[in-house]
Amino acid sequence: MLPIALGMAALGCGIGLGLIGFAAMQGMARQPEAIGKMQTAMLIALAFVELVFLLTVFVGAGAFKG
Amino acid sequence: MLSLFQNVQWLLAAGDSAHGGDHGGDAHAALAIEGLWFYIGLVVLISFGLMVMAKKEFGQRFFRTRISQYAEQLYIFIENLVVGIIGAHGRKYMPMIMTFWIVIFISNCVALFFPTSPTADLSFNLGMALIAVGYVQYEGMRANGVLGHFSHFAGPKMGLALIPINGMIFIIEIISETMKNVSLSLRLYGNIDGGHRAAVAMNELGEGANIPVGAFLLPVKLLTCVVQALIFCLLFCVYISLVTHHDHEEGHGHDHADDHGHDPVPATA
Repeated sequence: MLPIALGMAALGCGIGLGLIGFAAMQGMARQPEAIGKMQTAMLIALAFVELVFLLTVFVGAGAFKG
Repeated sequence: MLSLFQNVQWLLAAGDSAHGGDHGGDAHAALAIEGLWFYIGLVVLISFGLMVMAKKEFGQRFFRTRISQYAEQLYIFIENLVVGIIGAHGRKYMPMIMTFWIVIFISNCVALFFPTSPTADLSFNLGMALIAVGYVQYEGMRANGVLGHFSHFAGPKMGLALIPINGMIFIIEIISETMKNVSLSLRLYGNIDGGHRAAVAMNELGEGANIPVGAFLLPVKLLTCVVQALIFCLLFCVYISLVTHHDHEEGHGHDHADDHGHDPVPATA
């Protein structure tokens, strides 16, 4: 059961990261002069999405195991 | 010295189930307190050595050696990021942020050459996160006064009848402030330790053919090293900018990037 659950968590995390990357790439392509600001904001958003997955893996899986 | 040899031995045996075991195993032995101190000493040694070499040309007109030039470029890069997030008064926080960057980056890079690193241990990260969040509280108290800083937690002024709501907001904000420690430390720990676990799992893949498949993960891990150090510093900047922003500044593009999506604290009402 645990691998399936972790796979689902990875799926959600992947979708979130992909959405952030998609929007940031699009914005950078449209406004190349704003790349610096966009990269900063993108990194922060990536960190937040990643944290959810890490919480799932390290806290959730540990709690699941017992 | 003994622990050094033990760690080298463990490095040679890293293809085995060094990290992967669920309970016990060598991973926990290396992260015992002596192992942690060994790695912290290593990081301190490397960073101080680099800084001494970079400071050698301090006060001269041009930086001629490569390390000084790299250090200058790094400083300017980080300073631009910080000024972009906090504003012009963010320059006075540069020593703190730069220290965090150097410590985290070098301890991440230690993990590329050694079996583990300080940042792959939760206690070290939690210590750094406690320092970061404590410093943010201190700066908030210095900017708004002790009472002003704590009244920030209670949300906007909504009149006498809604004081219970303010109390609830206060409790939630205190919890969210405490969770900043957890999120900062767990993010760094999860990324670095997760990289190790992934490398070990990939090593097991190529064990039959004697190919260290996990070594192909090293470029990705190097990218993770830089990005995680950067993210720690960026979030530190965001927290500082949340507690110290003033009215006369414009363009708070990053104020909404808080952890839990609540409204940013209004400027001193």
